[in-house]
This record gives sequence, C-alpha cells and structure tokens, in this order.
Amino acid sequence: MALHAAVKGKLISVIGDEDTCVGFLLGGIGEINKNRHPNFMVVDKNTPVSEIEECFKRFVKRDDIDIILINQNIAELIRHVIDAHSAPVPSVLEIPSKDHPYDASKDSILRRAKGMFNPDDLVR
Amino acid sequence: MSNIEPAHDLLDKVILRQLDLLEQKIKCELNIESNVNNGSIHLAKSRYIMGQSSVSTTKLPTESSPDFSASIMCKTIEEDGMTKLKLYQNKENTIVPLHWFGVLVPQNLHMAQKIFQTTLSYVVECSNIQLQLKENMKNINALRKYLNIISKS
Repeated sequence: MALHAAVKGKLISVIGDEDTCVGFLLGGIGEINKNRHPNFMVVDKNTPVSEIEECFKRFVKRDDIDIILINQNIAELIRHVIDAHSAPVPSVLEIPSKDHPYDASKDSILRRAKGMFNPDDLVR
Repeated sequence: MSNIEPAHDLLDKVILRQLDLLEQKIKCELNIESNVNNGSIHLAKSRYIMGQSSVSTTKLPTESSPDFSASIMCKTIEEDGMTKLKLYQNKENTIVPLHWFGVLVPQNLHMAQKIFQTTLSYVVECSNIQLQLKENMKNINALRKYLNIISKS
C-alpha cells in the first residue's frame, strides 16, 4: 500500500469553508478512494468541533496524504490538536479564507518558530 | 573553549536562516490569500450567472459517489540532501471537476479553476518552507544543547 502510494504520489487534503473546498477541488485535488473515503471536509457554522477534530485526526493517520490544508479560522477551533502534531508528514498548512485574512500570530508553526527567539536564550 | 566561537557563529547563521524562512513563509501565505480571494470572486460571479446553489457543496462528490483519483497530487523528492514536495499530475482514474457543475459552465468557473491550480503551487512552496523551518528548529535546539554542554565543562 505504502509502495503504491509512493509511486502514485500522495494527496493534498482540505478542511475548509465552502469556497475553499469548492475551489481546491475544482483545482483537481479531490479524491474518493476505493473505501469511499473523501480527502476533503466542508465546514459550515453548524459543524461540531468534535467532527472537525475527528476528521483532522483521520487525515493525519492516513498514509496517502502529504499535505493537510486547513482554514486558519477552523484551525483555531482545534488548536490543541494541531499544536500536538509535530511530525513533518503530513504537513499541516493553515491557509486564509475569503472571510478571514491570514494572521501570522495565530499560525502554529510560526508561533513555535518565534518562540525560539526568547531574548534570554539569544544573549551569549 | 575554542569550540565555543565556531558554534556561536553557526548558531547565528542558523537563526538568520530561521528569520529568512519566517519571512518567506509569510510572503507565501499572503500569495495564497490573494489567490484564494481572486478565485472566490470568480466563484461568486459563477453563482450569479448559474444560480446560488449551482456552485456549492451540494454539487461536490459524496461518500456514495463512484471512486475517482485526484488529478493533482504531490510527490516527495530529495534535493540538495533535503526532502521536498513537488506537484505531480496524475492521469489514472481521474475526472473533470468542472463537470460536477454542469457541461456548459461559465468562463468564470474556468478562471476560478486556473487560479486555484496556481494556488496549489504556492501551497506546495509553503509546505516546503514549513519543512525547512522544522528542520532548522531542530538544528537550533541541537546547537543550543551543545553550547550548554561545552560552556558547563
């Protein structure tokens, strides 16, 4: 299975609002595999946080996914789960949506990277 | 004692690299943002032409739809000793996503498709920067540990 995925290439999955999902799926990243599992999840205002969390964990576990795209405002809802994910693959990328511009201070990776520049640590 | 100076110099270089990567990542995210905004405008124009529900999630495939593969995927490659991701065009068992929304779709939907395809290259670029950031963070931590050990001894 892993060998097959390596030869074939791996997926880019998306968890986002309607426009983000429609747009990226239009771009050609959507897939329904043989087990009828999609690589995308459309989140609206009625979607429970537990469902988003569960979907994110499911995507992380799948070995055929290399990149998980998630709208930053949705990532905020499951921040603890995203912060706990430290493995390089799948790479979790927080992207802005049309209603929520990008905020670097919220990005999980940037916060981790900036945290390293503690003034006390930089003094020789 | 003589090992401290080179280690500090190396730490300086790695930290500067980290700042450069942070800047690159933010630039890339802003590129994604402007592309997503442009794409969304074209999706909205398509909705205006075709009707509100004709370009919506109701048209997307569901778990009961027949299986198909993604036409754009990514591949892991080794370049300059680093693992990188690269976009890859898959041609097996793919479908035409535009057909979910009809056979004769407006030009705006074609435009939106092109814009989101361009965004995917920024997405992969951003993921590569993220991978480098994580690698760099490991190097900084390792160097700091090393400096702690040799400054104590």
